[in-house]
Amino acid sequence: MTATALQTKVHPALEGSLLLEVTSVRAQTNSITSISFGHPLGEQLPSYVPGSHLVVQYGTGANSYSLTGAGSAPTEYTISVLRVEDGAGGSLAMHALSVGDRVQVSRPRSAFAPAATAKHHLLIAAGIGITPVLSHARYAAEWGASASLIYVHRPGTGAHVEDARELLGSDLTECTDRNSFREVLTTKLTTQKLGTHLYVCGPTDFMDSVLEQARDLGWPKGLLHSEAFSAAALDDGQPFAVNLVRSGVKLDVPAGVSLLETLESAGLNIPNMCRKGICGECAAPVLRGAPQHRDLYLTDQEKADNTTIMCCVSRSLDKELELDL
Amino acid sequence: MSTAVNDKVRDTDVLPERIKHFPFPFSGDIYRYSANVEPCGKVVTTEAGAWGGRLLHVDEHYLAELKDRDEVLDRDPSRLQVLPHMRPAVWDAISTLLPALAEEYPDTMSFDREGNICRWRNSLQDLDVEFTFGDDDSLPMGPLRFLGSQIQDDLVFLDQRQDSLWLDAGVVTFAADWSVGFDVGMKFMEVHHPVPRVTEEKIASRAEQFLMRLQPGEKYRRTNWTLTIDRRLDTSTETYPNWAHDRVTIADDPALPDRLHLRVEIQHMIRLPHSGAVLFMIRSYLLPLRDIARVPVWRENMGRVLAELPNDMAEYKGIIHYRKAASDWLLAN
Amino acid sequence: MRTASQSPATGTGGEPGFRGVISVSFGAADASADHDADGVSRQDLRFASANPEALANLRSVLAHSRVGVRLVLAGPPADVHAAASAVAVCGLVDEEITILCDEVGPRVIFCGHCHTSTTTDHAIGTDVVCQGCATTLTFTDHFSRRVGGYLGFSAHAEEAA
Repeated sequence: MTATALQTKVHPALEGSLLLEVTSVRAQTNSITSISFGHPLGEQLPSYVPGSHLVVQYGTGANSYSLTGAGSAPTEYTISVLRVEDGAGGSLAMHALSVGDRVQVSRPRSAFAPAATAKHHLLIAAGIGITPVLSHARYAAEWGASASLIYVHRPGTGAHVEDARELLGSDLTECTDRNSFREVLTTKLTTQKLGTHLYVCGPTDFMDSVLEQARDLGWPKGLLHSEAFSAAALDDGQPFAVNLVRSGVKLDVPAGVSLLETLESAGLNIPNMCRKGICGECAAPVLRGAPQHRDLYLTDQEKADNTTIMCCVSRSLDKELELDL
Repeated sequence: MSTAVNDKVRDTDVLPERIKHFPFPFSGDIYRYSANVEPCGKVVTTEAGAWGGRLLHVDEHYLAELKDRDEVLDRDPSRLQVLPHMRPAVWDAISTLLPALAEEYPDTMSFDREGNICRWRNSLQDLDVEFTFGDDDSLPMGPLRFLGSQIQDDLVFLDQRQDSLWLDAGVVTFAADWSVGFDVGMKFMEVHHPVPRVTEEKIASRAEQFLMRLQPGEKYRRTNWTLTIDRRLDTSTETYPNWAHDRVTIADDPALPDRLHLRVEIQHMIRLPHSGAVLFMIRSYLLPLRDIARVPVWRENMGRVLAELPNDMAEYKGIIHYRKAASDWLLAN
Repeated sequence: MRTASQSPATGTGGEPGFRGVISVSFGAADASADHDADGVSRQDLRFASANPEALANLRSVLAHSRVGVRLVLAGPPADVHAAASAVAVCGLVDEEITILCDEVGPRVIFCGHCHTSTTTDHAIGTDVVCQGCATTLTFTDHFSRRVGGYLGFSAHAEEAA
């Protein structure tokens, strides 16, 4: 495993990533394993927001996994992975890791943060969805915040059950079948004090049904939180080509590489500051083709005009863009 | 001809530190609001030197400015605000900024942490303190006031919720004409409501979108500027009656070049790693016109910017009564 | 017109577990008239003004309510703003609150210099004397939801002494 885990080429999603060492592997259940990563020299790792996930590289792919700790000045990052036999291979690769293996992981990314103003945190998890919610429960315990958890798991197959019992005591409600869960959920959704925020993680249909029922019972959107991996980051996008009319050059822009980076690699000097689509410095005139606008700078009207592209984040809807460069 | 060149070289050589590291904000003869955001740490070379190599900068005013802050807070505790839900963010800032400061000034400062026990040493203040992360009582003056006693920057904390950022904590003793006591609890857009052009030009909403997408570990910065009469860092709304009158009399004061300062804020924006709050740091630099004029390109740039600035912007910055006098002096020299 | 009405004077602090609409009216306003939601249970609260006693009463009603509740606040700006600020501290989010604010009526001006709140009938852009420091204040539409008022600052500070 070490040989395949040590990648020379870093996946685009792992820019600025960390090379960490597996420090422990622990079976939670027959199909769920907890894996901890630490700095090879034992240094402290960056803190993270509760509910954050890591992108972990395996072979040529990369998967997101929720961190289970509270996130304050950690020396280890711990994930729990459910083995999926017919998946893309990520979970099998994780299950094959052993202590001492080195793995490329992203810095923790936050997309499921607790609401600081919440008067109470109502956590709801099904199956492996326990992982980010456990992180929330630990954070709440550290800061003395009020939290309760409904955990749906089949008898004997729940990960972190003991952790949850220890952390939450009587504030934990375990459900081992759908019917009892439905009853518990209806009761909980109609009896929460004002200022309660709801967090749900589990299979998509599970999350959808919890959120739908909450909305039907009058919960406003601002109190509902569900785990959505990578929602905060821009995706790699599709490859496209740019034809630079004045330079007489045609360049390919691969997925995961920005137009700005492509232009710079070709020796063009494009003014730029933020490289995040906000400052407006790297605007380039478009002569033909429809840009896929992903910036925050252009107005809706300017975007509709398709005469300007912000090279740092935007891409192309057409196979080729013609630029006045 | 050659004498002039030699003069210039010699001039730049002997420029004092305060001019050499001054973050001169104008790159041309025209200034407009923009979301002039760039990654933190990028060194910017100026006609006089360079700035921007670090997140936290200790300069020759360190002890004087911290004494100033301490006195402001003693007089008016409302300059420090922490809504109850922002306690974790304040501690997050402590465990982020103190190590960063120690890393940049290892000869004078150090930060060690074992579990939740932290030790901070700062020989510039002859300080050696031990405290417990998360325990407000372990720092007698309170965690945010303590942090504010170690760095020259004002700090503003933004909580992210309901698709908005909320100004929910801060220690702001060197405000450029605003009041943290009034603004605390506002949404980002509400804070920026009084700034002309900013709403129409969607600058504030773009900036908010940008800040909401910041990931932990990312650090950005921008600059902003105004003019301040005398070396007065506390130009808050609270003290406005004390200094507002100077705005009218300075134009005819022969001491204008020494009293009138270009005030530049380097604003750093970072996502705190554990609380997820956005930390907005405001470091204010003041340089008198007399010093600006020692750098010929600055003198000319600033003179033209002040002359050209539209009235609404000059009015908002509070410089409308004297910007012509300042511009005339700069361009006549 | 009004059914299911509950007088604040009887002040039981609201019915436990309430998840309907709470209509809060200050002065002569009628919050319930603007928010007739069929089939949703409703509590009507009426107060002369948003004084500390009224706000404590409102907070007590909210403490007995549960997520799902909607709050309607109607009346003069000063009262509605004070109530909105008080209920935000209870953790209510914007989506849970409907504000029906009179266009005219008393507003709170927060002195940027001494931090005293002064209530005035004056319109935005006019002057008012601060009750705390006696400074003549001018105020704009810069509004703080936490303070429940507008920022006032010395109107004549820049003029010749």
